[in-house]
Amino acid sequence: MISVRRFDYKPGEHEAEKASNSYVMSLVALIAGLPIPIINLVATIGFYLGNRKGTFFVRWHCTQALLSQFSLLLMNSFGFWWTMSIIFDTELATNNYIAYIISIIIFNLTELVVTIYTAINTRKGIHVEWWFYGSLTNLICKA
Amino acid sequence: MRKIIFQLIVTIALFFAVWFALSKVDWMTIFKVEQVSKTTEEKLGDLFWDLINESEKVIQNKKITVPLDSLLSRICVSNDIDQSQVKLHIIEKDDINAFALPYNHLIIYSGLISASENESEISGVICHELAHMELNHVMKKLIKEVGLSVLISITIGNSGPDIIMETAKVLSSSAYDRNLEKEADIKAVDYLVKSNINPEGFAHFLYKLSDNESQLVSYLSWINSHPDSKERAEYVIEYSSDKPKNYETILAQETWDELKVSLKE
Repeated sequence: MISVRRFDYKPGEHEAEKASNSYVMSLVALIAGLPIPIINLVATIGFYLGNRKGTFFVRWHCTQALLSQFSLLLMNSFGFWWTMSIIFDTELATNNYIAYIISIIIFNLTELVVTIYTAINTRKGIHVEWWFYGSLTNLICKA
Repeated sequence: MRKIIFQLIVTIALFFAVWFALSKVDWMTIFKVEQVSKTTEEKLGDLFWDLINESEKVIQNKKITVPLDSLLSRICVSNDIDQSQVKLHIIEKDDINAFALPYNHLIIYSGLISASENESEISGVICHELAHMELNHVMKKLIKEVGLSVLISITIGNSGPDIIMETAKVLSSSAYDRNLEKEADIKAVDYLVKSNINPEGFAHFLYKLSDNESQLVSYLSWINSHPDSKERAEYVIEYSSDKPKNYETILAQETWDELKVSLKE
């Protein structure tokens, strides 16, 4: 799911800190945004916009952190509105619903662990690329 | 680019595979979801019924209760519904009303029986309310109207009688969602046909009451709480038009007449 790669150059201490913060930011936003999933996307977009003129290493990791929020936003939003329709509308809790909620918990936890791992490594200046999001970031984030 | 698309497809497939695999586990039993909701429903139903039982006069006259039990019995047997689970209560009240409470309490007002010209009309209403029960509309409506938290607080005794009364009123005097009403009407026609009872009686009852609506508006609780009666009568007729028509009567004419006389006493 994740792989450590050589980056084009060796990032400085300040860059590593900022790049790492983008994951910390998404981590905080993820926890705060669990009840209302759009919050984590908005927070990460805010951080991304704040750093879009940063160095390539910072921009790259801000982009990867931002992109990774989209899949969670989709999954969590669907789960959120499904839950709302059970509480306030006529939908009933079914086996499929519970299975869906457990699935998104597994994916959220996986992303949480990967995010923490990436934040720690990025802080050390190590470049970590995620499955799919890393490739996508390479495509859209140019030096 | 192909690598990205491949990875995207694999990620989506992985998510759906996890979801699919997890959905094969019987979480409802593991988390005792049905057991908890059944207990809540049971407590709510009994609370509401106790309240009605205390404030209204319940008819015990066998000439009224036995024929209605016979109709209910035929409908239940023909449709594989466990009749022992359905608790039929007839209340002496002029309002033309019938409604279902949680835990399969079926309340019928004497006014509604008096307004029925024959057994197929009252059977239609019984089937409609049974359909609400069988399709779990009663709890769905309560959760939608008053919220799960209020219902749970009622069942654990944190709510006063006023709140219980207001919540019970949601079931006795307000409409279900339009789609739920239609679903119950269609199911009611199926029940009637399987019981060899003519569904036209049900449609006729709806037509009749919608015609009189302006004059009897204050008494027509069942119709007031079930809007667009004419439209409903039309789709009941339409849906039942291609059904087999081997209808028969359940009650002897004398039994029906006796029932009507007893209601006037």
